[in-house]
Amino acid sequence: MSVTQPDAALPLQPSRALPSLPRRVARGLRIFARRAPMSAFWGCVAAAIIVMALAAPVIAPKDPTRADFRHMTKPPSALNYFGTDQIGRDTLSRVIYGSRASLTVAAGAVLLGTTLGALWGLACGYFGGRFDIISQRIIEFLQSFPDLILAMAIAMALGAGMGTVIVAIAITRIPFGGRVIRAVVLSLKELSYVEAARGLGASHLRMMGRHILPQCVAPYLILATTHLGVAIIIEAALGFLGVGIPPPTPTWGNMLADSLNAGLVPPWWLVLFPGAAITLTVLAFNLLGDGIRDALDPRLRGAV
Amino acid sequence: MYSYIVRRLAFGAVTVVGVSIVVFFVLRVLPGDPLVAIFGPEGLMKLTAEQRASYMAQLGLSDPLIVQYLRWVGDILNGSFGHSFFRSESVAEMIARRGPLTAEIAAISVVLSWLVGIPVAIISALRPNSIGDNISRFLSILFLAIPGFWLAMLIVLALLFGFGYRAPLANVPFFTDPAANLQIVVGPALVLGLGQAAYIARMARSSLLEVVREDYVRTARAKGLNGRLVIALHALPNALLPVVTLSGILLGFVLAGSIPVERAFGTPGLGYAMYTAVSERDIFVMQNLVFLYSIVFVLLNIMVDLTSAWLDPRIRYR
Repeated sequence: MSVTQPDAALPLQPSRALPSLPRRVARGLRIFARRAPMSAFWGCVAAAIIVMALAAPVIAPKDPTRADFRHMTKPPSALNYFGTDQIGRDTLSRVIYGSRASLTVAAGAVLLGTTLGALWGLACGYFGGRFDIISQRIIEFLQSFPDLILAMAIAMALGAGMGTVIVAIAITRIPFGGRVIRAVVLSLKELSYVEAARGLGASHLRMMGRHILPQCVAPYLILATTHLGVAIIIEAALGFLGVGIPPPTPTWGNMLADSLNAGLVPPWWLVLFPGAAITLTVLAFNLLGDGIRDALDPRLRGAV
Repeated sequence: MYSYIVRRLAFGAVTVVGVSIVVFFVLRVLPGDPLVAIFGPEGLMKLTAEQRASYMAQLGLSDPLIVQYLRWVGDILNGSFGHSFFRSESVAEMIARRGPLTAEIAAISVVLSWLVGIPVAIISALRPNSIGDNISRFLSILFLAIPGFWLAMLIVLALLFGFGYRAPLANVPFFTDPAANLQIVVGPALVLGLGQAAYIARMARSSLLEVVREDYVRTARAKGLNGRLVIALHALPNALLPVVTLSGILLGFVLAGSIPVERAFGTPGLGYAMYTAVSERDIFVMQNLVFLYSIVFVLLNIMVDLTSAWLDPRIRYR
């Protein structure tokens, strides 16, 4: 037997063992914060917004749906820091609760749409052939619509509701996930370690799950964070156009649409605060996404 | 080049057919009952069975789906875009009256986006990581995050409070009264233009940074050409290729973005008509407008591909 056994020649040292998962994550985050302090800052802003959404009942000073007819359309004051709308609901509380709708829809749409697209792209890139060609045509048809218009049409067809808004936005996310991940898989397929695995007789499922999928995590994460921002803007636009989540649920888009009905001139506090909340949230997720991209894949710096 | 054009057009035709099927599927098949889309789930409950049947027959909704689809496509081929469910104006008249305004907004916004985006990108790319670069990068990221319709509402408010000014709300064609027409158009065009400028500045910056490292740029510098001329004559034309492509794609998204922006400004364009159709659940107008928008989108994409093939011979010989 003259086959060399590299593993046997190098005895495994016990001190090389990997630390536990939470420690590794914490260490990774520390390195991320040191290398990209700005991205880490915006990551904290994004985390704060998520906490705000989760803890809305604790943080919000008032009930966001309770009308108060003694304080209608009042400008910001010590009583209502962000003022009140035309039926006396507290704008600050509505902005805080609005984050729930925005983040739920965005997370749901991305988890559903981008993930479905990514898995589809994985299958397309891996199997190729006729399946790939047909899939690419379907994806092209889906991409022949500006995403807001497709989302509007689907949301209108399915009727108002949180679930339909999520589905409507998710469908517009599918092509992006599909395209990007397919391209990644196509280049991975040619690598020698994948060929080696095939040579060893690995099944399709094992090839995709064990050897190709882990390499798609970085592009998927980058895609998902970027699309969170896009999904939040589309959700707000749908709410603004009246095909979003139906009232009385407070969402930022609905609040902006309502402000146009609050008389001839919309009161400035009803316009300023919900829109600023949208901008801040999208900004935080976009900049976090840029940071994640730079950290995970320096080759893509400035490309996506 | 001609074979490329023919191939691209043939492919575009297939796409239009596919798009029409998607539109029909989404707006006619997906709701299950088209009356749900028109009346809403609550409204449908209030209708009696006879009322439902008569509405279905009257609107031609009781025929098999394939017949409905073919009838719809046939109507469009005949130039008839059907009637609104609520208004006497036909959809074709509406497009003819409101379309030019939205097209004007889109065209001006594209020009604006280049006028703003390219200089910003040049400032950025010539001195990477300088203060100017950081400011312009932050501004472009900020404008990617600002929803256009919110910016529009802020502008309307600022003009009202600051100057007591409101743009005219009635639709005026450019040739009857250019001043009034421009007052309507300039707001939406500015908002949509800034939104596109952010994308264009980002793309042009990274593209310029890549091109500046190319051999031919170094050669141009080495032969003693003035730094500005190197950028203007050698780097910029090559760096702008991907920007042209991006700009064409963005134009399609501007058409969609103009819906909420026109709503915020109260602009009487096609985007506002789309908003009205959605809020009135006017499914037939919606179906035709969505189809029209996506045809324009497909045509824009074809034009983008042909332009980049014309500008870059490497594409057409592939």
